[in-house]
Amino acid sequence: MNSTTNKHTDQISTAQAAVIVINYSLGASILTMSGRMVEAAQTPDIWISVIVTGIICFLAGLFIVWLCQRFEGKTLFEFVPEITGKWMAYVIMIIVILYFITMSAYELRMMTEITSVFLLEGTPSWFIIMSFLWIALYLNVGGINSMARLNEIVMPITLVFFMVSILSSLSLFDIHQLRPVLGSGIMPVFKGVIPALSSFTCYEILLIIMAFMKAPKKGVKALHAGIWIPTFINLTTAIMVLGGLGMFATANKTLPTLTLVRSYEYEGLIFERFEALMLVIWIMQMFTSFSITHYAASLGCSSMFNKKVNSLLFVTLPLIFLISKAPKNLIETIKIGQILGVTSLSLFGGIPPLLLLISIIRKKGGRRKK
Amino acid sequence: MKRTIRAGLILAVTLQMVVTGGCWGHKEIEDQSIYVALGFDTGDPSQLEQKVKEQGGNYPKMNTVKVTVQIVPPGSSQQQGGQGGSQGGSSGSQGMAYLNQEMTGDSIFQVMRQFALRNQRPLIGLHLKVIVVSSELAKQYSMDQMFDFVLRDNDIRESCLVMVSHGKASDALKSSQSGEIPAFRLKEAHRSRYRNQKILPPVTLTKLENTIKSKSSFMLQNIISAEGEQNLSGAAIIKGGSNKWIGELSETEVQGLAWFTEKNRGGLIKTYAEDGHVITYEIVQSSFRITPIVTGEDIAFQIKIKSEGRLIEEWSHPDIPPQQAYLQELEGEFEEQARKQIGQALHKLQNVHHADVAGFGERIRISHPKLWKKVKDNWDEVFSRIPITYDVNMTITDYGSSKE
Repeated sequence: MNSTTNKHTDQISTAQAAVIVINYSLGASILTMSGRMVEAAQTPDIWISVIVTGIICFLAGLFIVWLCQRFEGKTLFEFVPEITGKWMAYVIMIIVILYFITMSAYELRMMTEITSVFLLEGTPSWFIIMSFLWIALYLNVGGINSMARLNEIVMPITLVFFMVSILSSLSLFDIHQLRPVLGSGIMPVFKGVIPALSSFTCYEILLIIMAFMKAPKKGVKALHAGIWIPTFINLTTAIMVLGGLGMFATANKTLPTLTLVRSYEYEGLIFERFEALMLVIWIMQMFTSFSITHYAASLGCSSMFNKKVNSLLFVTLPLIFLISKAPKNLIETIKIGQILGVTSLSLFGGIPPLLLLISIIRKKGGRRKK
Repeated sequence: MKRTIRAGLILAVTLQMVVTGGCWGHKEIEDQSIYVALGFDTGDPSQLEQKVKEQGGNYPKMNTVKVTVQIVPPGSSQQQGGQGGSQGGSSGSQGMAYLNQEMTGDSIFQVMRQFALRNQRPLIGLHLKVIVVSSELAKQYSMDQMFDFVLRDNDIRESCLVMVSHGKASDALKSSQSGEIPAFRLKEAHRSRYRNQKILPPVTLTKLENTIKSKSSFMLQNIISAEGEQNLSGAAIIKGGSNKWIGELSETEVQGLAWFTEKNRGGLIKTYAEDGHVITYEIVQSSFRITPIVTGEDIAFQIKIKSEGRLIEEWSHPDIPPQQAYLQELEGEFEEQARKQIGQALHKLQNVHHADVAGFGERIRISHPKLWKKVKDNWDEVFSRIPITYDVNMTITDYGSSKE
């Protein structure tokens, strides 16, 4: 299997890699996360779960970085056959490609659900989906560089507006809703980790983008930024949602983060309400997650069938569209997100360390260069 | 071949941009009528509805709830000139800034849609500010039943406030002052909280939902309306679990609770001198500490309140310059008054209503989470038997701009 993309001209800097990881991580799940976490944990300690999840994902990501550093300039799809042999590699690759396609479909569906309920009530959903699909296609045809650049533009805008709309709810914030800390012991904190995982699906993209990095040595740096910035944002969101809505209302809402922003109003400012602003801006975040996973899936297919990425982008797109149509409603879509979170950790927390071990035993790949 | 594809794509994208400039599902604001307040009353069809029914205008329903909607501006619902007053079920007349319409039914959502039969333009709930429930209805149905539609609807924002009217909710949404919109007046009421302890903190739909789900009892602002004006007066108590109205707290009792539920509430304490004249103390600063004392499964509470303030009005001895001894005597008097208020409020909660609306349960939940798990299911009963001691300490720090 030969390399099918030109990684000599199409390279990204460490900062760009970090931005891609961050944008991939921040997606639709942040809107639903706190509700499902409270539901699972039944305590207000979910903010501790967020931190714990961040640490777990960082450790999982570390193995990925080490693994990729042994195979500089190669994506997961290119080095797996070297490690495990062809047939095993096919199995792993198909699973990973399916994962990315489903992930992409999930973000696409959430994006459409939210747009058609809260922003463009009345616009047919196929039309909303279609516009997203076309733009993503156009973007990804440009290769990883154009994607990285778009991500760089989108990230600061989205983060600033998101944080402004979340922190504006400070007037509702009630610290008592977060207490008592660890009132029901440590166990519920771990129960909260499982639903939190869906907001932390980010490190696995390093398996692909590290091949494009100019300086793969700095992979850990990109991982640090890619994990801790989303952790901080998820943490702030969880704390503000819980303090603003209270435990019971949070557990009962499908989109608690949105409910929080709808719960306050400012008079005399330019904006009285922030929910439309937040959603419009956050759609960009969901779009980046969607386009990154679309690209990753196509890249996987291209290595597998030894075809050009650009033609395979057209093949994966209808697949994503079909899968995004599969869930019946928003609740089912959210469930898929949760399943994806768990799958992500079991896949990318489990396989890379194994691969790393095998590659060390079988002496495949280069040594880590200092 | 490639060129045609490219041209086709460019054409499609351009078309898409033209079509989706955010206008696909657009609705002109002029074509909508906005309702800013909702009132829920016990079902009792208005005159208009009865007349319509006599002529055969009816659909299968029970008369459970009467919904009042407040529409602004009034002209937005009917053609100019066709304003409420003349129409049986509507109130508000020429010169009024709003229009109230009433309809009866059992499903609140159906009633809301039924308004479409009466109005020229569809009603939209994006700017709903206040929901008023009459105490009579809240006695019969639980809050979660009445608010189920409101909490599910995606038009209505969660920042909407909830209040209870002592009389009819439809009366609480009327105003005799021209130009005033009752919904806005009620919504802004809590802005004066820093001046008066008797106003409760605003309860939004989010807060309401959280308290309903937590199964604890809570208070809602009570409204008494008379002569076309709305007065905030006391609090309605909603019992946790059943979520029904069980009684009211008077203004004094609300003031009593304010001492130990929030810091630095502006307000006053009044007492009478021996000669029957009034002396008033303005609260400049106040703080409190509630200590739960738990031994085994026995719970007790100790409340300590500290306040500083100024002597703001004195009808009794205007000639004598305030002396230390006299001031201390006054401080004692004021403390006594505050203690009376608190005692009265606690008595009402523990012995009359058996409902903890002052957040004592929260204290136990936070400080003794394990004990809380045992007592939370019948906390209101446990609370009714808990001994609560309270201690008030007031200091008069100045006497305003007068020297004497």
